[in-house]
Amino acid sequence: MAADMRLPTIRKPVSLSVSTSDRKDLVVPGDVITSDTGFMRGHGTYVDEDKLTASVAGEVQRVDKLICVRPLKTRFNGEVGDVVVGRITEVQQKRWKVETNSRLDSVLLLSSVNLPGGELRRRSAEDELTMREYLQEGDLISAEVQSVFSDGALSLHTRSLKYGKLGQGVLVQLSPSLIKRQKTHFHNLPCGASIILGNNGFVWLYPTPEQQEEEAGGFYTSLEPVSLSDREVISRLRNCLLALAAHKVLLYDTSVLYCYESSLQHQVKDILKPEVMEEIVMLTQQKLLEQEG
Amino acid sequence: MKDTPLCNCERDFLLKAIEEKKRLDGRQTYDYRKIKITFGTDYGCCFVDLGKTRVMAQVSCELVAPKDNRPNEGIMFFNVELSPMASPAFEQGRQSELSVKLNRQLERCLRNSKCIDTESLCVVSGEKVWQIRVDVHMLNHDGNLMDAVSIAAITALCHFRRPDVGIQGDEVTVYSPEERDPIPLSIYHMPISVSFSFFQEGTYLLVDPCEREERVMDGLLMIAMNKHREICSIQSSGGIMLLKEQVMRCSKIASVKVSEITELINKALENDKKARKAGGRCGFAESMPQERITALKKDKTAVEMTDVSERANEIVQKAEALPQTVPSPVVPVPGVGQVGQGPQNTWGLDEEEDEEDSDEEQEEQVTKMEEEHSENKEESRGGEVVEISDSEEEEVVILHPEKPDRTPKNTGSTSHQKVAASSKKRTKK
Amino acid sequence: MAGLELLSDQGYRLDGRKASELRKVQARMGVFAQADGSAYLEQGNTKALAVVYGPHEIRGSRSRALHDRAVINCQYSMATFSTAERKRRPHGDRKSTEMSLHLKQTFEAAVMTQLYPRSQIDIYVKILQSDGGNYSVCVNAATLAVIDAGIPMRDYVCACTVGFVDETPLADLCYAEESGGVSSLALALLPRGGQIALLQMDARLHQDHLETLIEAAMTACKGVSKVLDEVVRQHLQEVSVLTGE
Repeated sequence: MAADMRLPTIRKPVSLSVSTSDRKDLVVPGDVITSDTGFMRGHGTYVDEDKLTASVAGEVQRVDKLICVRPLKTRFNGEVGDVVVGRITEVQQKRWKVETNSRLDSVLLLSSVNLPGGELRRRSAEDELTMREYLQEGDLISAEVQSVFSDGALSLHTRSLKYGKLGQGVLVQLSPSLIKRQKTHFHNLPCGASIILGNNGFVWLYPTPEQQEEEAGGFYTSLEPVSLSDREVISRLRNCLLALAAHKVLLYDTSVLYCYESSLQHQVKDILKPEVMEEIVMLTQQKLLEQEG
Repeated sequence: MKDTPLCNCERDFLLKAIEEKKRLDGRQTYDYRKIKITFGTDYGCCFVDLGKTRVMAQVSCELVAPKDNRPNEGIMFFNVELSPMASPAFEQGRQSELSVKLNRQLERCLRNSKCIDTESLCVVSGEKVWQIRVDVHMLNHDGNLMDAVSIAAITALCHFRRPDVGIQGDEVTVYSPEERDPIPLSIYHMPISVSFSFFQEGTYLLVDPCEREERVMDGLLMIAMNKHREICSIQSSGGIMLLKEQVMRCSKIASVKVSEITELINKALENDKKARKAGGRCGFAESMPQERITALKKDKTAVEMTDVSERANEIVQKAEALPQTVPSPVVPVPGVGQVGQGPQNTWGLDEEEDEEDSDEEQEEQVTKMEEEHSENKEESRGGEVVEISDSEEEEVVILHPEKPDRTPKNTGSTSHQKVAASSKKRTKK
Repeated sequence: MAGLELLSDQGYRLDGRKASELRKVQARMGVFAQADGSAYLEQGNTKALAVVYGPHEIRGSRSRALHDRAVINCQYSMATFSTAERKRRPHGDRKSTEMSLHLKQTFEAAVMTQLYPRSQIDIYVKILQSDGGNYSVCVNAATLAVIDAGIPMRDYVCACTVGFVDETPLADLCYAEESGGVSSLALALLPRGGQIALLQMDARLHQDHLETLIEAAMTACKGVSKVLDEVVRQHLQEVSVLTGE
């Protein structure tokens, strides 16, 4: 077996738009944003002797009188309605703890999941005892943020047929800031696989299900063997995601698809080689620019 | 066991008091608590009381092979032990953050400042040197452990004597103290640590925080200095922001405190030397009856003495009016009460008491520092007599004033059982 | 102590620097993908790697959690090959435990932990090559890593060690100077407010010299902060160009 070895080289940023850097307001911790007291203090800032000061390194955003600094990279700060992919870490009384790349583990209450038997099913003490049968430690789920607790922890729900336990597929963990917010985060890509782009940076790739959801209320997982071609498509998508993330390209259905298309001329295993990666990302960015017009 | 957290009311109260420049024990901002230095039987054993904080230091030595990179230097080893005895919050075994902090700070304070001549500890270069080991044990934790530890360690080192050695050819003989007088260590200077605690983001500053104050403080600054105004180590701890001016101010305060403490240590050492020369009994065995060991020991309280004789007379008169039907309790030894006129155990007690009384005069190894040095020593000592508290019944008071003029005779005694003993003698008559 | 002349008559030090000159500082942010934040920093020949994880749910015993702020967990270690003599135990001894404690203290002062109740922030620092000023290099590297992780801080924390020879303060000591018996002072500073997050001094120094030494240390820290500032801004520029549409 031939091993591929290379020496370290200096990273070359791939970029088509250089001029954009000027219009952005970049600050570092301790930078005074304004000494005008008329503004409101948002995330990433603090007031020091009446001066609004940045506490993180990033880009200043102003919405009316509110000033925030958005760091380039951070943990997931969930908002109501966000789609997340997470992993169960603990089964507690009446709730599951879910690791969602957030600063505290999120909570999935037993009362906010759909149990088999439909909407009106009562949750008995027996359900509490059999919680582990539905979801146990290590299971992956997709869910939506229902509310945010005062300490910043998220409360999730899976009360829709599209959410629930995840079966066979591949999880890719990326930075949450790379996921573009969109109307829908569930996509059936034309290349033969489906993708869930969780707002928390967890991306789930899985074979497109044959027929849409059935009775199980999201707790049924098919263990049918996945065909080789499907697996190849999923692997290619995974490598494409990593390539895009390495070059900090925002992820959404179009960018992923374009990247997939650009990568078709290479073998799956070659996509992550730096020069191939560079080429593919470049092509993707070009396509995206063209599309934008 | 984890520390019980301070309740919010108490926290607020403490902070409020500090804001108003008041402290729980009535001290001023820059005051130290009472420091008391006592020595044990052996050389190199020393107890330090800082208010209610109490530590014990013991120095020992051993002949070992030197370190490879320093063939002709002795080895210093420091160990601070936080036993759960001192506070339930201290855990056995595991190295807690506090213990690492204390250990390292003591090491830095005493080893890195090179206050001890390690080269003089070399016996045979590259083969045998003295290893001096300082063990400091916490006996009671009431805040400001570091200062107590540093005072105890340096005092114990000053007090310590190592055995003399003789070299004949390849042979090294260690002489016992009977053969040759042991030798003191050569100490260049005495670094003493002074702790400052900061409150409310560094707005308020207190010297020598007690345990309660330590719980509400934001951070601590420890400055170790010697009396020549040389800083031996500085260490800030806790998440506080200091300004340069604060550090400078603290260093000035520290230099004053250090010279006071150094003087005290020297006095204590001198007193101990005198006591030892005079052949008085000293040390652990002696400290037991005086209740120096336990944290429960009672401090002397100053009592108004101006009208004591009149009051005593008054009491005597009243007492004579009472019929003496109720037998008075007799307390031959603390803890043993006896009521009634049953047969007295006179075994040896009599002579011993007399002896001890005469010893007492030389027994001056207990030095005290009070902020008000002017305070009349006689007065505080005389107060002792009134402080008879071993018996629950009030009648005990009646026993002594039979001859009120005798009271001054007892001034030398430092503990209650002296009084009890003399009272017993009187009842025998 | 006597053998080495730490400051020549012409005012040069062992490695040819002037008294107040810093060593060359080179740094890079975001060196690891899996961590929330990471940085690599070289200060002369001292090299350190810092990695930050968090804020995340408390791992281990939940009783450590604080209801009003985040717990900062620091671990300092030295690579076995970092010094001339190989150490068998690179971490876990008193000195490195103390160093971890100091790092923790420093960052508790600077990081706005009250924003993350009940969580934990891990800071791991490893010295790859040791040539004096380990504490300062660790602090500087960890600062960059914390910024990279997007954790809010009041200001940069910059640290520097300063020595005192022949009435002259020497900035940024190297190993030869540190072991040469100089009284050294390590100081971590929040440069904008001039606040001292950590102050530590070893060996003897007369009280009258303390002020000049602290002054020199603060100047040195400000020098370091300029370099770090440049690194952060450049990194920011690079990354924001990439993500910008």
